[in-house]
Amino acid sequence: MEPRRQDFERADYAWMVIASVVFFLLVAIAAWRALHAEWQPIQRQFRTILEGHDQIEAARRFDLGIRQIWNPEIGVVDRCVTCHLGYEWGSRLPADLPQPFAPHPALSYLDQHPFTSFGCTVCHGGQGWATQSAAAHTGGEHWDDPMLSKALALRYGLAQSQLIQMRCNYCHRHDLSTPGMDEINEAKVLFKKKKCLVCHAVEGRGGLTAPELTYFGDKNPELFDFSRVDGPRTVFNWNFQHLMDPDKVSPKTTHPTFGFQPEQAKALTLMLLSWKRNSFPPQYIPRPIEIAEAPYKIVNVAPEPPMVPGADAGRQVFHTRGCAACHTVGAGKLLGPDLQGVGTRHDQNWLREWLADPAAVIRAHPDLANWPQEYEGVLMPNQNLSPAEIDALAAYLSRL
Amino acid sequence: MTARERAGALWRRLTWTWQPASELESGDAIVRNLWLHWFPAKVARASASWNYSLWLGAASAILFLILNVTGLLLMFFYVPSTERAYGSMKDLDYAVTLGWLLRNQHRWAAHAMVGVVFLHMARVFFTGAYRGQRAWNWLVGLALLLSTLLASFTGYLLPWDQLAFWAVTVGTNIAREAPLIGGWIRFVLLGGSEIGQNALLRFYVLHVFFLPAIMWILFAYHMWRVRRDGGLAAVEPIRLARAVQPKAVPATKSYSLFGLTRGTSVVVRSSTELEEKDEVFSSPNLTRRLVLVFLIVFNVTLLWSLLAGAPLEEAANPAVTPNPAKAPWYFLWLQELVASTTIPIGGIRISGGLIGGIVVPGILLSVAAIWPWLDRSPADSEGVWFPPRRRRQNLTFTLIFAVIIALILIDVFLRGPYWHLYWPGTAWPTMPRSL
Repeated sequence: MEPRRQDFERADYAWMVIASVVFFLLVAIAAWRALHAEWQPIQRQFRTILEGHDQIEAARRFDLGIRQIWNPEIGVVDRCVTCHLGYEWGSRLPADLPQPFAPHPALSYLDQHPFTSFGCTVCHGGQGWATQSAAAHTGGEHWDDPMLSKALALRYGLAQSQLIQMRCNYCHRHDLSTPGMDEINEAKVLFKKKKCLVCHAVEGRGGLTAPELTYFGDKNPELFDFSRVDGPRTVFNWNFQHLMDPDKVSPKTTHPTFGFQPEQAKALTLMLLSWKRNSFPPQYIPRPIEIAEAPYKIVNVAPEPPMVPGADAGRQVFHTRGCAACHTVGAGKLLGPDLQGVGTRHDQNWLREWLADPAAVIRAHPDLANWPQEYEGVLMPNQNLSPAEIDALAAYLSRL
Repeated sequence: MTARERAGALWRRLTWTWQPASELESGDAIVRNLWLHWFPAKVARASASWNYSLWLGAASAILFLILNVTGLLLMFFYVPSTERAYGSMKDLDYAVTLGWLLRNQHRWAAHAMVGVVFLHMARVFFTGAYRGQRAWNWLVGLALLLSTLLASFTGYLLPWDQLAFWAVTVGTNIAREAPLIGGWIRFVLLGGSEIGQNALLRFYVLHVFFLPAIMWILFAYHMWRVRRDGGLAAVEPIRLARAVQPKAVPATKSYSLFGLTRGTSVVVRSSTELEEKDEVFSSPNLTRRLVLVFLIVFNVTLLWSLLAGAPLEEAANPAVTPNPAKAPWYFLWLQELVASTTIPIGGIRISGGLIGGIVVPGILLSVAAIWPWLDRSPADSEGVWFPPRRRRQNLTFTLIFAVIIALILIDVFLRGPYWHLYWPGTAWPTMPRSL
C-alpha cells in the first residue's frame, strides 16, 4: 500500500510556532497593560502616605480601584478622584502634600457645593471620564472643554480662580451678583451700565441691531473672523480684543468703543463665554441674591453720574435708557449724532414722533431714507419708551 | 505513578497532537467533525496554496468572526441612546477592564475587513474565477461586499461622536442624491429627516442583528457554492490539462468472445477528474493552515489595537461641523467625486451628488454584476493570475482600483480644513478653539 502522503508544506509548522508565540506575547502585553494602569502606583503611594500620617485604619481599608463621583442629574462622571485622593482629607493630612494628593483648599462655598454631588469638572473643567493624566487634564485633541488650570489662566493674564468663575456662571447666570465671583459680578454691572441690551438681545429682551447673545458661549469658534486678532486663535482672544477695540477686530462694526480697562474686557469675555445652553435640574439653580445683600464689594465700576438736584426727568431718561451708549452732548459723534443743538434742528413734536418710532418717521419721510447711511447703516433702535418718558426726553432734547 | 510521570502525562494532555495514521482516518476526521465537515475530505494542492488565493477569503471570514465575538461583548456595555452612547465609549476606554482592547479590536478589525474583502474581490477578478457557474458566487460575493460596507457604515454612527455624526451625515446626504428613491432611502434609514435617536436605534439594530444575520446566511451560501462549483477556480487549469492529455490505453483483457475481436474495450481515455497527486487531505493540511491564518489575522488585529486607539472625537454636536467633515475612508473616493463634480456656475451650484454619489458607483457596481456574462476570455485564462489573454480587462480593473485607492489616499491624508489640499510636510491651519 502506498504510504500516507506527506503534508505538502513543512514550513507551516515553523510558522505555526512563530504565530503562536506572537499570539501569547501580545495577549501577555495586553494583560500587563490592564494590570499596570497609570493610577495604580499612585494609589499605592497614597496608601503609604496614609500609613505615614497615622491613618492606619484608613490605609487598611483602602482598596485599589477606579473611583468616581457620579451624579447623573448634572451629568457628572468624575474619575479625577481615582488619583486625586487627598481632596477631602484636609483635616487629617497636611495641606502641603504634592499633587495629586493635596487636600482641596477649604473654600467658603464648598458647604453649598459638596464634592459628592458636584464632583470636580463642574468647576475645574477637563475630562472627568478619563483615568489617564494627559487625557483627563488637557482632554487631548478632541476635547474642547480643557481643565481651567493655572497655566491656562495665565495665558490670558488671569488667576485660576478668575477663569473658573466662567464655569460658576453656568448656574449663577441669573444671580444679580454672587459672593466670590467678583469678575463676573463686575461684568454683570457693566453689561447693564453700558446698555448692551440697546442693541443686543439676551433671553428675549433687548435690541435687534446686534447679534443675539443668549447662548453666545456655544457659538462655533470657526464662525469668528480671526484675521485681525493677535495671538492664539481662541474665542476668548477674539472677544477680549473686540471689546477693547471693536474697530480693529471687525472694521465695519457699529459696536461702540467703550474704552474698557483690560480687566473689564476680560470680565465681560468670561461672562459671555459662560452663556451656554446648559440644562441643570431646578434644585441646582441658585436662588437669586439681591445685590443689596451682597457682603462683598464690586471692583472697578465707575459710579453712576450724579444726578443734578432738581434736574429734569428728561435728562434722567437720557442716562438710564441707554441713549448715552451712542450719543454724546457736545463730545462729538459716536455711533449716533452729537446731540448738541438738536433742539434747534428739530421741534419737540418731531422729536416726540422720532423717539416713539424712528422707523415710522423714516417711512413717512422718503427724503430721509438715506439717513442711516451716514451712521454706518444703523437706524436708531426703538427703545419702547413710555409716553411720559418720551415727553420728558423730548423736552430735555429741545433745550440742548 | 511518580510525580514526574504525572507531570509528563499532564504535559502530553496539554500539548496534544494529532497525526492521522491512514487516509481513512484523515477523511473521517473531516466528515465526522461538526465544524470541519463543510470542507471536502480532500482539497487540491493549488486551492490550499498561499500564492493562488492569498487566503483572502478566509481572512475576511476570520475578521468577521472576530467582529462577531468582540461585537457581542461590546453589546454588554453599549447603550444605543443619544445620551448614553458616547459615555459608553468613554467607559470602555477608561473604566472597563480591557474595554479599550475590545473597542480597538472591533474598530480595526472592521476597517481591515472592508480592505480584505476588497482585495479578495480583486483576487477573484484577476484570476478570472467568476466564469461559468461560478458567476453566481461572484454575485453572492458582491452582495457580501455591500453588506460588509453597510455593516461598517452602520457601526460608524454608534460611538455618537463628531466623527460618527458627520461621517454619517455625509454618507446619507450622498444617498439622498439617488433619483426618485434617494430621499425615501435616507428617510427610512434615519427613521426621520435628521440624525437623532431614531437614526441611532435603526443603525444599531441593523448593525447588531440584521446585517450580521444576512452576512452569516450569505457566507454559508458562499461557502456551499464554492464546493458545489467544484472548489476554487485554481483547479480549472489542472482539469483542462487533464482533458487534453489522454491517458495511456491499458491492455485489453477480456474473457468473453469480445477477446477475439480487435481493438480495445470501452475505457476512459481522458478525464477532468483530479488525480491523487493533485490533492492532499484536508485534515490536517487545510485545517492546520486555517488555524495559522486565524492566528496571523488575530495577531495583526491585536497588535494594531495595542499600538493605536480607536478614534473618538468630541460628543456629537449637530451645531458644530468639524472642518473637514469626512466620510468613512472606504466612501471617501465617493466624497471626492462628489466634491470635485460639484461645480459653481455663476450663483448656482451644480451638485455633484448625483454623478459622484450615484452614477459612478452605480455604473461600477452594475458592470461588476454582469461582467461574468460579458467576459469573453478563453477557458484557459481561468484560475491563474494575470493570464495574458485577459490582459486588457485586468489592466482596466487595475486602473479603476488604483484610481479609487488614490482618491482615498488623497482624501485621508491631503484633504484638510475647508477641503483644501495640503501637501505632505505643509502644516494644516490650527482651527480656533474656545480657550
